[in-house]
Amino acid sequence: MAVDGLVAIGAAIAISVTALATAWAQAKIGSAGIGALAEDDGLFGKVFLLAVIPETMVIFGLVVALVVTGFI
Amino acid sequence: MTKISVTGTKKDLKNVIDKLHQLEVLDIRHYEGELSTGSPFKSSEAVSELLVDIRSLKSKLPEPNQKTGEKPEYQDLGDTVKKLNKRVEELEEEKSEIKKDISSIKDQKKFFSKLKGTGLKIEELEGTETLSVFIGEIDEQKFQQNTSSDAYQICNGEKASVIFYKNDVEEFENNIREARNKEYNLIETEFEGEVEEVISSIESLRKQLKQQLKSKDQQLQEISDKWSGLLKTKESELDEEIQKAEAPIKFASTENSFIAEGWVPSEKMPKLEEELAKVTKGKIHVQEEDTEEEPPVKHNNNKLVKPFEDFTDLIAVPRYNEIDPSFMLLLTFPLFFGLMIGDVGYGLTSALVFLAGIKYVPEASDMFKALLWTSAATVIFGLIYGEMFGFQIYESPFYRADYWTEIFYIALGIGVAHINIGLLFGAYNEYVNHGLMEAIYAKISWIILEIAAVAGYLIYTSIGSTPGTAVIMGLGIPAIAMIYKGEGMEGIVEIPSLLSNIISYLRLFGVCMAAYTLAGTANAIAAPALTSGTILGITAGILILIGAHTMLTFIKIMEGAIQGIRLHYVEMFGWFYEGGGKKYAPFGAKNS
Repeated sequence: MAVDGLVAIGAAIAISVTALATAWAQAKIGSAGIGALAEDDGLFGKVFLLAVIPETMVIFGLVVALVVTGFI
Repeated sequence: MTKISVTGTKKDLKNVIDKLHQLEVLDIRHYEGELSTGSPFKSSEAVSELLVDIRSLKSKLPEPNQKTGEKPEYQDLGDTVKKLNKRVEELEEEKSEIKKDISSIKDQKKFFSKLKGTGLKIEELEGTETLSVFIGEIDEQKFQQNTSSDAYQICNGEKASVIFYKNDVEEFENNIREARNKEYNLIETEFEGEVEEVISSIESLRKQLKQQLKSKDQQLQEISDKWSGLLKTKESELDEEIQKAEAPIKFASTENSFIAEGWVPSEKMPKLEEELAKVTKGKIHVQEEDTEEEPPVKHNNNKLVKPFEDFTDLIAVPRYNEIDPSFMLLLTFPLFFGLMIGDVGYGLTSALVFLAGIKYVPEASDMFKALLWTSAATVIFGLIYGEMFGFQIYESPFYRADYWTEIFYIALGIGVAHINIGLLFGAYNEYVNHGLMEAIYAKISWIILEIAAVAGYLIYTSIGSTPGTAVIMGLGIPAIAMIYKGEGMEGIVEIPSLLSNIISYLRLFGVCMAAYTLAGTANAIAAPALTSGTILGITAGILILIGAHTMLTFIKIMEGAIQGIRLHYVEMFGWFYEGGGKKYAPFGAKNS
């Protein structure tokens, strides 16, 4: 599909900013989580749960990118 | 589960404990009543001391190399373990001494190697009363230009220079300071003679020390090879003995009798009663207890679902009156994984990884068994997509690269279905625990809200804005009111998350696309080499393919497993799963 320059840039921003936001959040949660795990292995499930929550942000970014490029 | 109390005479205490340990059915609870609790058997102290010794010895020994058939002989285990412990500690101490020596002569060697080629003797480096010595790197030209006196001598080595100078001439110190790049302190050594000689002496001493270190390691290894097997069996035996010896701490105790309380699966109660009567010749009383306490939870699943229980417990053990979502994991986790990765080749390679996991990580073998299902699903979806390692293997009617839009909507549809199943589970849990109305208010209301949104949208776009709005308002507002009644303000705040959870399922589509593209990219990188026509090129191409697809296997296992499982944990379980139950841990069972 042919996409206008500005639209393509818009899609790129949507993906990249949300990806950065996810990465930043996961970095913080991840390092705190590792700290918690060092204290108690049994927390793995909860730490995992918290660590994956921000991932949804980048999925939103993906959806926005797909919408602006006219995929859906 | 039934809560029971077992009352018997003190005389039979040991027999009863032995029997309970053997039967592995009673999850013993701490007695909480007016009577005082019992004390451990007298042997417990000695046994735990021995156990500590054995564990400390085991931790200090290296892994045993081979299993020796011979059984080590000993008379008193406690004594032997103490002696072995002492011997191992001595060896460790000797080893650390040797290591210290080695590191010290390493420094010496490093230092003297710099002075190679100066032809000096070690004794000369110390200087005399009137002669000072500088050792280091220096800008020689600068030093010579600045210095007017000639009462000095420079000897150049490979990496450092030595300057001897009269210490009654003032300018030297200053000039050296200005021209020097680095200064080294003289390192003490026990050796004498010329630098080269000293270096070779150091080298031979180092070899000697290394030899000694090796021999100490050898001795430790011998001890480990000989004793590890025995220590391991004794450790588990003693562990069992301690469990038994300490069991009375949880019992109520009077002068002549004891009472033990705990949970037992209801169907196993008659057998327990019978067996206990046998060992006590009938002098035992087993009684059901009324209690408000929540019983411990034992998963009750068939063989297929069993491996998935660990994934459920990873988040939380289900409560007693709650749907165990393990079977949901069996149904949809492999489905999601397969849908995303969908490639015959990766299905097979990931199966190899999981089989290796079962073999080499036995404590997590159940999880790997569960993951094998995902490999099977990957192969099936690979056949549907007609893909193997990114290559199209046949003209599939559903080659995924031609159907991205459809996969996008399929992912959304799966999200809607999955979350609604979660809501129905939630409704069932509410119904069991709080009754029908609560189930409707707290969970069914969400489904009504969804219907309001979808029906409203369809009518709005097809018939007109007024009836559309009417449907949205007419169904939506009561639904929101019900949510508020069922879940309070928390429920209202959660409303947007219904949409965000459904959108989150688009990761199925995203990872599916990424998986396809990654495999294709690996093949595209290898393509020029493969089509080059030369043997070297084709070999290189094949190597690239093997390396890339091996790496991709692990990436895809990670992505498929993490994204697949989190859609359950976060998006689905959130709608119904509470967890927080206590796991049934019968006395005597291995992992209790």
